[in-house]
Amino acid sequence: MSLSIKVNSDTGVVCISILGSFDFSLFHEFREAYAEFIGKKDRFTIDLSGVEYLDSAALGMLLSMKSALGENSVIELKGANDFIKNILMISRFDKRFEIR
Amino acid sequence: MKLLCVDSEPIYQEIISLCAENDGMQVKLAASFDDAIFLYEQWRPDIVTLEVVLQGGSGPELAKRLKALEPERFVPIVFLTSHISDFVMNQCFKAGADDFIPKPFNEMLFRTRISTHKRQIQLIQEMYRKNRELTYYQTMIEQEHKMAHQVLDHIMTRSEHQSQNLAMTRLSATNFNGDLALASTRSDGSRMIFVGDFTGHGLSASIGALPVTQAFFDAIDSNMALADFAVQINKMLLTILPDYMFCAAYIVLIEATGKLQYWGGGMPNAYIRRADKSIVHITSTHMSLGILSAAEFESTVSTHYIYDRDTLVIASDGILELKNTEQVMLGASALESLIVSCYDDHDLLRAHHEMEAHLSRFQGESEQLDDITLVAVRNTI
Repeated sequence: MSLSIKVNSDTGVVCISILGSFDFSLFHEFREAYAEFIGKKDRFTIDLSGVEYLDSAALGMLLSMKSALGENSVIELKGANDFIKNILMISRFDKRFEIR
Repeated sequence: MKLLCVDSEPIYQEIISLCAENDGMQVKLAASFDDAIFLYEQWRPDIVTLEVVLQGGSGPELAKRLKALEPERFVPIVFLTSHISDFVMNQCFKAGADDFIPKPFNEMLFRTRISTHKRQIQLIQEMYRKNRELTYYQTMIEQEHKMAHQVLDHIMTRSEHQSQNLAMTRLSATNFNGDLALASTRSDGSRMIFVGDFTGHGLSASIGALPVTQAFFDAIDSNMALADFAVQINKMLLTILPDYMFCAAYIVLIEATGKLQYWGGGMPNAYIRRADKSIVHITSTHMSLGILSAAEFESTVSTHYIYDRDTLVIASDGILELKNTEQVMLGASALESLIVSCYDDHDLLRAHHEMEAHLSRFQGESEQLDDITLVAVRNTI
């Protein structure tokens, strides 16, 4: 599995971890990963520490997640390597996401 | 499932067919070498059982012939024989046998082996089916990429032609990755340039390019202010594109005086290469077009100047991510030094060709996966 979901029972934060390449091939799987939490949870962490490559389709998928969960949701993107962090910063994702 | 039983002895024909029919298989019998070949071609069985000694030829020879008849189809050949020496067994496997069951006939052993082969046949058939499906989808996608290229090539023909002040390259890969480059000069003498990169690949990535191009030429005709144009394109893309699609872009306006204004969102750095070989970074400070609502969108424009023999170079991320044969990406610093060295030539088109030649040398034999867009602009009068 290139994607796994864990809900922290203390904090209620939903953590989605992605492994390998974060690209268009995960389009449906990624959407399904957060779909069941829409309207129920508002704090999410996307763990990118296992991601080697991320393309613009993945950026689109993250934006789509944000709009599905609503403006008040908080989505943290954590563990990105330098290459990916650079893409996130160029794309100004700090405006919509918490980048750590 | 169809089983062809090749055995010259009637008693074995009877036992094998009875046992296989109990297992729900259709069975046909062949008593000789030639019968076997005839039935194999006519009836096309899924599995064959075979005796080593046959009327009209040998079992291993028959196995070889059958395997050669339809090499693309997997039909297990199972020897069922009383000749069980290592030498014979080896001969059978060498001839292409998939299995070897010794006589006297053991029903339980026969059933177990046959069910293993059935499972394998089903897996392979499933694999063939999936393979056909994949080929179908691959062909369809290739077609879409071609169509996207054609659409883009067509709309870009309205763009300004190459000159000593403008060089634009798009090196097409099989994948259309949504790069769009447009340039045109307005009636007031200012030149406007749009270099964009839509999310995704293929036909879907080219859809946004059509309205953007239309709006670009409208803005040229009406001498629209740069910031207003950015607002307009953003609003348009926000409306027409699904929420997972956007367009990273530089929109640049260069006045005849050399005043350069730009709006940049989601793009890697662009460069002004000064005549003295120094580099000024053009940085995109905004989110890409088509993401933020009209209320959140920032249309702040930055200003620079380009003087005689300075060159503005904008490259899509396809160039930064260009890989050599060792799978190492070109990266920003190598690109920067190439820009410094190549654009020294006073002839812009020659400089641009040199740049392209360097990029293709870097790439070597490795396959270019994405389209590459490279735009160079000067303001020489």
